[in-house]
Amino acid sequence: MPEPHRPDTPFDAQGAALDEAVVTRTDPGRARSLSSDAWHDLRRNPVFVISALLIVFLLVIAVWPSVIATRDPLYCQLSRSLEGPAPGHWFGFDTQGCDVYTRVVYGARASIAVGVCATLGVAVLGTVVGGLAGFFGGFWDALLSRTTDVFFAVPLVLGAIVFLSMIKLSGIWPVVLVIAALGWPQIARIARGAVITAKQNDYVQAARALGASNSRILLRHILPNAVAPVIVMATIMLGTIIALEATLSFLGVGLRPPTVSWGVDISAASDGMQFRNAPHILLYPAAALSLCVLAFIMMGDAVRDALDPKLR
Amino acid sequence: MTDDRLLEVRDLQVEFSTRDGVVRALNGVSYGVDAGETLAVLGESGSGKSVTAQAIMGILDMPPGRITGGEILFQGRDLLRLGAEERRRLRGPRMAMIFQDALSSLNPVLSVGFQLGEMFRVHRGASRKEAKERAVELMDRVRIPAARQRVNDYPHEFSGGMRQRIMIAMALALEPDLIIADEPTTALDVTVQAQVMELLADLQREYRMGLILITHDLGVVADTADRIAVMYAGRIVENAPVKELYAAPAHPYTKGLLDSIPRLDQKGGQLYAISGLPPNLLHVPDGCPFHPRCPRVRDRCRTDLPPLYAVSEQAADGAAEATGEQAEAAAADAAHDDVARVPDIGERSSACHYWKETVDDARRA
Repeated sequence: MPEPHRPDTPFDAQGAALDEAVVTRTDPGRARSLSSDAWHDLRRNPVFVISALLIVFLLVIAVWPSVIATRDPLYCQLSRSLEGPAPGHWFGFDTQGCDVYTRVVYGARASIAVGVCATLGVAVLGTVVGGLAGFFGGFWDALLSRTTDVFFAVPLVLGAIVFLSMIKLSGIWPVVLVIAALGWPQIARIARGAVITAKQNDYVQAARALGASNSRILLRHILPNAVAPVIVMATIMLGTIIALEATLSFLGVGLRPPTVSWGVDISAASDGMQFRNAPHILLYPAAALSLCVLAFIMMGDAVRDALDPKLR
Repeated sequence: MTDDRLLEVRDLQVEFSTRDGVVRALNGVSYGVDAGETLAVLGESGSGKSVTAQAIMGILDMPPGRITGGEILFQGRDLLRLGAEERRRLRGPRMAMIFQDALSSLNPVLSVGFQLGEMFRVHRGASRKEAKERAVELMDRVRIPAARQRVNDYPHEFSGGMRQRIMIAMALALEPDLIIADEPTTALDVTVQAQVMELLADLQREYRMGLILITHDLGVVADTADRIAVMYAGRIVENAPVKELYAAPAHPYTKGLLDSIPRLDQKGGQLYAISGLPPNLLHVPDGCPFHPRCPRVRDRCRTDLPPLYAVSEQAADGAAEATGEQAEAAAADAAHDDVARVPDIGERSSACHYWKETVDDARRA
């Protein structure tokens, strides 16, 4: 009937025997966390490698544009307005007679700064709201989720146009703030779902049973298991936010001259007459913008593949 | 109530609101554990074993769960009257829980050393380095080979038995007074089961903890438990010292459970099974909830809910001399006498109107 009781089983002897086996077994595959697994996958993904190289390149020229463009983007010679490519000026000149190549290189800074800052804002705000809603549930969930819905109902571009046309500040911050304030609901919904899923895991119950506080459970045990979808969504959003910045600048409410940005240049070049005479002034900044957006969206895709174990 | 009484659950009632109605998961559960004692809680799935444990630990999901009555006295204090923060402080240093599935009960993104060390960082304010040292000690303590090399490994890199040891280590970290082990060996294979149970029993003796062992495996219980509480449909149906229960069960349900264990000395025969299914807790049958499945069912069982009767040796012996109708009458009389007397929590008790016959039949067999 029951298992016979063997009080004197030599556990430690067994343990010692196991000892060697265990050490040799663990050596080939050293401890791999989820993130190191993901990194292992990513390095072998050509989409990731290409997009990562592009993004690194874009980041480098955003921080140090002078590395590959020695001229001043604000130095313009009206006499050379709309001139085509010339030696030393590969991309030609724009309407104001500024060097298009230099402006395209310098434009990366504003576009990427807006993209990165606004995405960070969106991700943090969305994660906090969605995380709290998912974790506490009940009344707080209802309150925060409905608030999210209200913000969801505001069209991003229209909302940004309305707010930005009222604000008369220049620089990137108004654009960053408006995008962050209007863009977070998408992340909040994803974060809420991820937190609810993670919350139901046994280890959350176990942590609670061993006396972990709410904040510890949320930050240490739920968040690391729920960030993957948020990271993926944020990476993809980064691309679209850069495009959004260009859209707003094009419409004249985003970044404004003298800030150098792709959107500003595209806007300046978008006159039909000019495009027929000198297409280069539109094509180069537009191509740079497309490449940048593509790089971030490709990166988002690759990251999703790596972080979602179900797609493996 | 003795001075040694660590935990006493009195008439605990828990309900769950579901779409189909209110499920009465616990209908007045009472049991107690002394320091250094092992109480095994037995029962089929859905009998309320885990819900009781969750209510004691304070990790019951509320809502949909709701504690509608009863008391949980832990070291003399009623846990149900304490605030959430006070209860949280008890979890870990005073009471801890071991879960069934160690893999899903460990956070997959954190190393086991980190998770073990968390106990010391949270409750003792230890530094990271100190916590890791203690984690290694703990892993040694639960006999995990090469603890120092493995402290930074992740849960999925351990075998099932090793993971369960880590769960045990985590629960023991702060040397709590009470440990609730919710089917600690169900997910393990038989040889590892024996090792883990032995480890748990050793450590319990060493620290003189109270242990509530929730299981549906009677084999595991026989070696380790001091007393057994059998649950059925959210009630305790029998509460007895382990030897007495195995020798002569006082409830037909317990007898059914014991008879359905395969035995090496009775090969070739058909294995006994309790017929039917446990009741749906949305519609618990009138009278004794076990009556539709009970081989000894009588009319009274269908209408009267049996309270817990104190099972005393003398009474049982006396009844053994009588036979037939006399016995029944005597049993009924005794039962009526006993209704007024609620058995002490440490006393042997059975929730069957006809416990005397059941005990006597078991003795005779």
